[in-house]
Amino acid sequence: MNNEIITAENLSKRYRRYKKREGLAGSIVSLWKREYEEKTAVDRISLSVSKGEFVGLIGPNGAGKTTLIKMLTGIIAPSAGRLQVLGYYPNDMKNEFKKKYAVVMGQKSQLFFELTLNDTLRLFQAIYEIPEKDYRESKAYFTELFGLEKLMDVQVRTLSLGERMKMELMAALLHGPEVLFLDEPTIGLDAVASKQIRGFLKEINERRGTTILLTSHYMEDIKTLCGRTVVINGGRKLYDGETETLFERYQRNKRITAAFSEPTEVLWNAEEPVRILEDSPCKKVYEVPKEEGKRFLERLMSYEPTDIGIEEEEIGTVVERIYEEGAHA
Amino acid sequence: MHKYLEIARVYMKTQLAWRADVIFNMIFTVTKILFAYLLWGLIFRERSMVGEFTFHGILSYYIVSSFLSQLEMSRSVSGEIHERIRNGTFSKYMIVPVNVEGYFIFMELGMIAFYFVFDLLAAVVWRFVFRIEFSFASDPVAIVCGVLTAALGLLFMVELNFWLGILTLKYQGIEAFLMIKNNLMELATGSIVPLALFPEIAVGVMRCLPFYYVTYLPAMLLTGQCGDEAVTGVAVIAAWCVGMQLVLAATWKKYIRKYDGVGI
Repeated sequence: MNNEIITAENLSKRYRRYKKREGLAGSIVSLWKREYEEKTAVDRISLSVSKGEFVGLIGPNGAGKTTLIKMLTGIIAPSAGRLQVLGYYPNDMKNEFKKKYAVVMGQKSQLFFELTLNDTLRLFQAIYEIPEKDYRESKAYFTELFGLEKLMDVQVRTLSLGERMKMELMAALLHGPEVLFLDEPTIGLDAVASKQIRGFLKEINERRGTTILLTSHYMEDIKTLCGRTVVINGGRKLYDGETETLFERYQRNKRITAAFSEPTEVLWNAEEPVRILEDSPCKKVYEVPKEEGKRFLERLMSYEPTDIGIEEEEIGTVVERIYEEGAHA
Repeated sequence: MHKYLEIARVYMKTQLAWRADVIFNMIFTVTKILFAYLLWGLIFRERSMVGEFTFHGILSYYIVSSFLSQLEMSRSVSGEIHERIRNGTFSKYMIVPVNVEGYFIFMELGMIAFYFVFDLLAAVVWRFVFRIEFSFASDPVAIVCGVLTAALGLLFMVELNFWLGILTLKYQGIEAFLMIKNNLMELATGSIVPLALFPEIAVGVMRCLPFYYVTYLPAMLLTGQCGDEAVTGVAVIAAWCVGMQLVLAATWKKYIRKYDGVGI
């Protein structure tokens, strides 16, 4: 049985954007002589997503991730290519289609800031025509899952970013969408809130079988949640395959930060494949190959640091590496 | 229909969120009536009639027309659409399973419902404060036609502003269109000077425009004047609504695919 619910073939999106010469003279000239340039935001991307998958979409700023999500949700029309989501052409914007998906964009809100979450949920119940019984069940489930019991009657504008994101998710999931599109849901959130959001998404995917497409700049989001990752840059697909393989193959270094209570000199062999990124008396930052990490860390611990931090390599570096090596899964 | 009524309800609730706003809005409905009271008080000091108006007749007109003008808040529709298309957040309305125009009509209805209650209260209070012998229409046809014309007039204004708003998809900047519309509105609605005081030829031109039927004609009908225009008034503004709807549907179909969602 064909389980594919999203199929895109050679999907492209081109924008025409206005160019103006610098200064007032340029502005005046532009009144009667306009120059435009064409920008290809998405370039012949083919993609298919099966029911229940959790797919990560990564790439640097301007890679075309959000444009792709906008095409998949029907917000914008593709310039070329074939597209079907849940059996619909998204840009036809049919209401039956809209009832089957939800989209949460980290920087765009569906909530009414002057009102409470309860008010917004009632509106969504009416808009999505959710029967009262289903509404109550769904509301109870998500209220408990997101821990929002005490915030249901509080004016949304007074809440923290993390609390508001939980509410955005709750409002989006209330009607039980088959597909959830998430565009940077953890942007601006602190580590605790991000972790909570990741936990909720995992549960929704596993328990409810909701297919999720997630774009994020945070490696942690992708690594923790997505079994499959699509890497795009400059509008083109660079990698489409298992997340584990992607990181195994292309994320080669760890960034290790060590803080000391007093000025410390860490001695290391010049032949070691370690790069010093910062070397101040009480703080050292190193870039260490993954396979060397354990050994290097053990040695570093012998200097008795007061704090140690281990970070993943930045998404941009990984994308650059994939791009340079021209890899395809 | 239930979803649209809920949209209206939500927007009515948003109007009630700020107490000071509610109170000051009620208080400031008096400014226009106070201005009219002083101005026309001076004019009527030396005569008992101006055109077909008595002093109390013209104040009644001002109260009704000011009440209707307060209800005409559709400029927020074009403003909201224009702003959201430009900053890329118009998708808020595109991703939910509703007709976007319907959403805006009922959003406006929710806001009007709120002002309807509070401004009606204010109008009644000012009628007693200024001791106006209110001249209200006695002909039921004129009353029904007055209410219908006012309702269709408000609907037309939402349609017009929705249309102007979506022109942002094509032109990006619509300030000039809005300015033209606002200037025409000010003149043709009779909100500055009653149109009955204009030369007949000017009124004839205004009658061809929909704005004549937004506040002016309903206010005149409800204060017992222009009874002979009652039925034609309803027909004309209804025709404008249908015509505007056709233009709007064609514009939406043509331009919505231009939305690029660029912004945030």
